[in-house]
Amino acid sequence: MSTLTAPVTTVTPLLITGTGVLSSAGQGLGTLQPSLSSGDAPRADLSQISDDLPPIALQAVADLNAEEYLGGKGIRHLDRTTKLALVACARALAGLPVPLTDHDKPRTGVVIGTSTGSIRSSSEFSRDTLVQEKPYLVRANLFPNSVMNCCAGQIAIRSKLRGVNATIAGGRLSSLNAIRYARNAIAGGHVDRALVGGVEELCPQSAWGWHLSKALSGEAAVGEGCAVFMVERPEDAAAAGRPALAQVLACEVSSAGAGVHHVSLAAALTQCVERALRRSEVSADQVSAVSLGCSGHVGLERIEERGVRGALGALPDRTLRITQRLGETFSASGSLQLAALLAAWQEEPGKDEVALVTSVGTEGNVGCLVVRSPSAPLSD
Amino acid sequence: MRDTTARRVVVTGLGAVSSLGIGAHTFAAGIREGRSGVSPIRGFDASGFPRTMAGEVHDFEPRSILRRLDPEQWGRSGLFAASAARLALEDADIDPALVSRAHTGSAIGTTSGESAVIEQLTEQWVKDSFKRLDPAAIRKVPASQIATAVNAELGLSGEAQTIATACSASNYALGYAYDMVRSGEADFMFSGGADSINRWAHAGFYRLGALAESVCRPFDAHRSGILTAEGGVALLLEPLDHAVARGARIYAEVLGYGVNCDAQHPVSPDPSSIAECIRAAHRNANVEPDQIDYICAHGTGTPTNDATEVKAVREVFGDRLPPISSIKSAIGHTMGAASGFGALMCCLALYEGFLPPTANVTETDPALGPGVDPVPGTARPAAPRIVQNHGFAFGGNNAITILGRAA
Repeated sequence: MSTLTAPVTTVTPLLITGTGVLSSAGQGLGTLQPSLSSGDAPRADLSQISDDLPPIALQAVADLNAEEYLGGKGIRHLDRTTKLALVACARALAGLPVPLTDHDKPRTGVVIGTSTGSIRSSSEFSRDTLVQEKPYLVRANLFPNSVMNCCAGQIAIRSKLRGVNATIAGGRLSSLNAIRYARNAIAGGHVDRALVGGVEELCPQSAWGWHLSKALSGEAAVGEGCAVFMVERPEDAAAAGRPALAQVLACEVSSAGAGVHHVSLAAALTQCVERALRRSEVSADQVSAVSLGCSGHVGLERIEERGVRGALGALPDRTLRITQRLGETFSASGSLQLAALLAAWQEEPGKDEVALVTSVGTEGNVGCLVVRSPSAPLSD
Repeated sequence: MRDTTARRVVVTGLGAVSSLGIGAHTFAAGIREGRSGVSPIRGFDASGFPRTMAGEVHDFEPRSILRRLDPEQWGRSGLFAASAARLALEDADIDPALVSRAHTGSAIGTTSGESAVIEQLTEQWVKDSFKRLDPAAIRKVPASQIATAVNAELGLSGEAQTIATACSASNYALGYAYDMVRSGEADFMFSGGADSINRWAHAGFYRLGALAESVCRPFDAHRSGILTAEGGVALLLEPLDHAVARGARIYAEVLGYGVNCDAQHPVSPDPSSIAECIRAAHRNANVEPDQIDYICAHGTGTPTNDATEVKAVREVFGDRLPPISSIKSAIGHTMGAASGFGALMCCLALYEGFLPPTANVTETDPALGPGVDPVPGTARPAAPRIVQNHGFAFGGNNAITILGRAA
């Protein structure tokens, strides 16, 4: 019917003007540079997380030191998900070449991808209803931690960011879904800019979940981390004097639901990449890098690679597999994949490159983000 | 700034799985009569709790509604969402194959995701150890499964956005879905919300001193708090031109929305920030305060909420307060689904011509000041043209949607 158009229009680029990154490789974009090896990373003391962890490879953020970034006040009750994201956001805001003004903050949003919030907080709060003398003898001050939007709300409170405050649960697609949500919030005029990214906490609940569900291959680790990005319109970034670290072009996601056959899941990713390229006005042969998300994931790894090859013909020479270094970071994976690209561009200033960040989830979700290195001329 | 080339977006299908019954029209009939969906809790052992009433969905049989999903493979919240969306699709009287072939996605709000699954796993942990967690249950945990369930049930291939912005999540979802259809990113979107009854929220609200004994009476001088509740709700959003061309029943037009964050306190709402959110929603929808004929309140039933919400509304509307009522009086607080149920009632209020009531109100609290009309008791015949729907949440997350009568 003629009124059903859903036109494939070109998206308006956004700029990334700030980053906050932490993972088992360390803190800051530089820790993800391709020239570094995993041997360079600080070793985390897992006993600080729990003494009841499964017998599989685990990689945690070492020396989280939330107090250092956030001051001591009021952080004792916060869970690890919220601390990881708060530190990442504090780093992103503090690292802006020109900080946000008091005028900017009411027009700045927060969009955080997290599949379940802190599953540890929810589960431990629920546990108290079973093990306490009375089921209601839970700790009221921990109740907000059991709600998925706790993290995004805390970011807003700490930094006085009063724009849209969204929590996006997209499983492995959480970070890409969050970027897509943030793009719409900016395009629709609800905010002028947003801190957007994904967070994942290593905890016994999720680590045992990965172990028992056998979703990861034998050598793959379960990781954690957070990456957030300040995204804004090119004209606003220019006016503020914040140079681009990257251009964000199209961000396409789709979901066909669980039970999708592997062949059709790869085909869905191919279609998603093709649509994202069209909306970015980029041809397949212009893409010279891809940051993959599914390394170490039984089944998904080959689906993702097949899906990308379907759109590009072959995997580009620069194919990043950040999960080999950081482990499975689930909700944070897409944002850490993007951070890894930015880190690579940081090592090669001046390189003009178009890259993809791709993601596939067991529940039949696929996604593709198109990004361009900062040296490329802005399309106007 | 409104884009004049953008499509107008209307609601043409409604679905509800609620404590007042299955189906939007059964649900709405209960709300209009001021009937209560509250009953003794069966979903978990509530015997140790001083408060044991909630708005539970007792007669939910997903197999009788769903055509594609195997209920064994999904959590309760996902099943609520998928069932509500299936009902909304049927209500819209549209060829399901057309919706499936088109660029159609879903945006579903939730507070606690698959909380019933998480509690099942937590019980296994407590009784035994992490080693004994059930892998089949583990796979149901991600909250993303809620919107994914909608896409899987209806054979949709667009995006599946689960928006976990706590108790304003359905309004967040409706706003996002509206933008997707308006801008042409999608042809159709299912928006809504879903949450399941769980022990941990019941305990948390009790410890905050927020739980009512057995009756929820927002705006009443004798109110005593909220009742926890559950359910699923879905709205089918469609371009106006398409709906007109196929002769669809158009319940309402989505005119716009506003979202912001208090950025002050995790659980204590701020009236000035809510007032700003109302103004942002009015700007986005291109309406003035004096055009608003009715407010579907967040109206949880706590004194704090009532005082804050009425103060915020006064800041924007001055002395002329539109009638403001809370459907939580009948069904309790369905958390992430709450503002979705509110949006559904707004659609029917516009289409059928009435104001939804605040059940159980016998004496409007004089402390709220003059001019507060909570539409006490049962629905009131009226002809509202533009209404606004409130959703507020922990974290200071405010979201307000504006709906109008189809022209």
